[in-house]
Amino acid sequence: MFSEQAAPTAQGLLAPPSAEPSTFARAPVSTYTDCTEPFRLGQRSFSRQYAHIYATRLIQMRPLLEERAQHKWGSGIAMRKLCELQAGEKCCVVGTLFKSMQLQPSILREISEEHNLLPQPPRTKYIHQSDELILEDELQRIKLEGTIDVQKLVTGTILAIYGSEKDNGKFLVEDHCFADLPRQLPMRGPSTNHFVLLVSGLGLGSGSGESLLSMQLLVDVVTGQLGAEGEQSSAAQITRVILAGNLLSQSTQSRDTINKAKYLTKKTQAASVEAVKMLDEILLQLCTSVPVDVMPGEFDPTNYTLPQQPLHRCMLPLASTYSTLQLVTNPYQAEIDGVRFLGTSGQNISDIFKYSSMDDYMEILEWTLCVGHISPTAPDTLGCFPFYKSDPFIFTDCPHVYFCGNAPLFSSKLLKGRDGQQVLLVTVPDFSATQTACLINLCDLSCQPVSFSGFSADEDEGDMEIGH
Amino acid sequence: MQCFLCVFILQVTYKWLSYTLGVHVNQAKQMLYDYVERKRKESSGAQLHVTYLVAGNLVQNGYICHKVAVVREDKLEAMKSKLATIASVHVYSIQKALLKDSGPLYNTDYDIIKTNLQNCSKFSAIHCAAAVPRTLAEVSQAHTSAQIDSQTPNDMQVASVPVTNGQVPSTAKQASQQPKGIMGMFAAKSSSKSQDTHKETKPESKETIGVSTASSKPPAKGNTMSNFFGKAAMNKLKASSESEQAKEEREVTKPSVPAAEPKLLPTTTVEKPGKKTEPVKIQKKDRKRAKRVDLSDNEEEKEAENLKKKRRRIKQPQSDSSDNEADGPASSISQEDRAPTPSPEPPPKAGLEPASTEVKASTGGKKRKRRRVLKSKTSLDDEGCMVTEKVFESESCTDSEEEFTKAKPASLHRQSTAPVKKDPKEDRRGPKKGAATASKANKQVSIMGFFQKK
Repeated sequence: MFSEQAAPTAQGLLAPPSAEPSTFARAPVSTYTDCTEPFRLGQRSFSRQYAHIYATRLIQMRPLLEERAQHKWGSGIAMRKLCELQAGEKCCVVGTLFKSMQLQPSILREISEEHNLLPQPPRTKYIHQSDELILEDELQRIKLEGTIDVQKLVTGTILAIYGSEKDNGKFLVEDHCFADLPRQLPMRGPSTNHFVLLVSGLGLGSGSGESLLSMQLLVDVVTGQLGAEGEQSSAAQITRVILAGNLLSQSTQSRDTINKAKYLTKKTQAASVEAVKMLDEILLQLCTSVPVDVMPGEFDPTNYTLPQQPLHRCMLPLASTYSTLQLVTNPYQAEIDGVRFLGTSGQNISDIFKYSSMDDYMEILEWTLCVGHISPTAPDTLGCFPFYKSDPFIFTDCPHVYFCGNAPLFSSKLLKGRDGQQVLLVTVPDFSATQTACLINLCDLSCQPVSFSGFSADEDEGDMEIGH
Repeated sequence: MQCFLCVFILQVTYKWLSYTLGVHVNQAKQMLYDYVERKRKESSGAQLHVTYLVAGNLVQNGYICHKVAVVREDKLEAMKSKLATIASVHVYSIQKALLKDSGPLYNTDYDIIKTNLQNCSKFSAIHCAAAVPRTLAEVSQAHTSAQIDSQTPNDMQVASVPVTNGQVPSTAKQASQQPKGIMGMFAAKSSSKSQDTHKETKPESKETIGVSTASSKPPAKGNTMSNFFGKAAMNKLKASSESEQAKEEREVTKPSVPAAEPKLLPTTTVEKPGKKTEPVKIQKKDRKRAKRVDLSDNEEEKEAENLKKKRRRIKQPQSDSSDNEADGPASSISQEDRAPTPSPEPPPKAGLEPASTEVKASTGGKKRKRRRVLKSKTSLDDEGCMVTEKVFESESCTDSEEEFTKAKPASLHRQSTAPVKKDPKEDRRGPKKGAATASKANKQVSIMGFFQKK
């Protein structure tokens, strides 16, 4: 889409200077609504137990699941609670899934002195053949067997199972179903081409300069400095840039300073200080030209638990003077030009990746949408705030664009739901590794990757082919 | 254009050229191209290496990817052939030496951007109407709301708002605060009392630094402020000029003071002499001595209690209005040694120093060097309470005592009526001491005094 518009005047700048260089006005955002209210935490009190979040999750999702179950298996099926189960009776039960995993890191085992165990080294996947699924509802729990994919599912999922209880006290599952896509409001997108650029994983402060030129090229394309006139006019139609997390690189974490003696670390500056300064300059360049939404990520200086609160404006003194800079939460939800966006910086997806057999980020992204919950593994294996009134990660309505940041690869898919919902699923790749960003066209919900590159000494003709 | 390349650099990027010449980026790109063409036609022998920017569509991993790449001239055609559709081609940079990798290009761009951070979109091809810097009023509003929401931790942040902001928000607040009047002052004072306590400890050290000159004394204890009021109560003044100076002083010397502080200052300016003013912060009170025309004892006391701020040398204002008014300004000012505003302090201020003026009169042109010594003075209140004050006394080199009333009352002891009552006491003490010192002026302390005590 970008290139076709620009092609006619592609070589226009290979010419002597012309009298009047053209300037394009940035396409204005007609409507923008920030819907991150449920993710913003006011006073945070961690004195509550996490059981409440599971309780409210089940309470909120039970009606949805009962409806789906009746839709799938007929309205005549018996809906039972675990305490009402009778052996041999075919019924449907709604509950929370718990996967008991042998390899799951357990803090109790780590500090247990009698075992004299070393802490478990981090692995990419913690699944094991011996994992078991257990269904819990408000009062009881029961082990599950049968036609249910133990490896794929993760703890915290709310689902409805159909089957019967066996004599050995386990539940034999014949079928199961999830909450599926929620209702979707119709999309009132723009009539002309308006683009939103999604970038994640800038990874500043990493000490390696490979992606720095690519980042500069990205900023230059968006601000209209790079490219011939056709490209610049297309870039003027980019109405928003969303930075989906991991603005700072993992190497700015400086975790080892916690273990070092104070006298060694006293005069040293945290690595994140320089990185944030660089971020401020980049954001300033972007903010003078386009509205930017900055989401925090796993390695950014904000709280660790989900939902991550916005970065503080005092860290970005240069850029925060512009009203085009928006510091938002992770997960982020907004309505841009009539198109509902919902996305995270990727921690939810990567956590499910660790505890499930699913390998493809796109597959996991789609799965979370079908399950009806952004991050079912929170708070079990992913840090989360102890909500008790309501679980804000449950999908209340279906977004039009659902994305996750810091994926290993770019992928996009247009998902069609049963009730006519249309969702564009996008996995935004990690920019510091792939130098690729995503361009979404709000008019027709299409997505295109944009990749940037410089050249290096060891590149030859062959390498160009491989690309990112 | 030629000179840029020949004279000093090894490379020119389009962005660098655009900023340096102040031209639109597209023009810069065209200029580079033009230069290359001409130079090559001349074939003057100087080898120019050019890098190009190529952008276009490329099929990658099943997606149509829009690729933007900087390539060397020798790879240009290869790249163009790879792209299905070419969106743009233009000159990115020219350099004298062949570049092995694109690192130096980034460095050049980075440098030029850094020096032009504030107007980095000036020469770009896209202008965004929405990208307007927030006005300082909005920024400070955001800051104060953040301050109110969360307590002390935010004070640091607000305090570190650039000093330039200190000026503007104060004026903005002036406008909004002015209508409030005296009651506003009282209300504001009670609300910011808590802030006071937080900030007092922190800025304490900064105050000493801020006080540029004279104060050799450690940060003054709060009582000096209360003395202030006593003096202030007496003085007619040029309140406005006073406050302005005070404000400037404050902002110069106390960059750490949160922006909320100046709020009260403007209100007092409006108040004019003759009205009761109830400044919240001690520093303000310092400066606004002149305003305290009718400052009652009650107010003084309250303020004294609130003031834990160290005020550098402030003359003890504990004199009755009538006395103070008569005093000459110049004496108090010079004795004050107020760093920021030595001379311009208006006459009214002087009225605050009855004792000091008397002293001045007595010492006239003696010009002795004086040291400041911290001493405790115990005295009886009118209510019968013992009040102990630490007072800076100025002693001349020859040990004669001249009392400078820079009292910092122990705030606990300070009763409402104390200051006023003390004034006459101080007065009495002043002249008494003066006499005593005069008599002792030439006596040396002998060692026999040590034995005689028994």
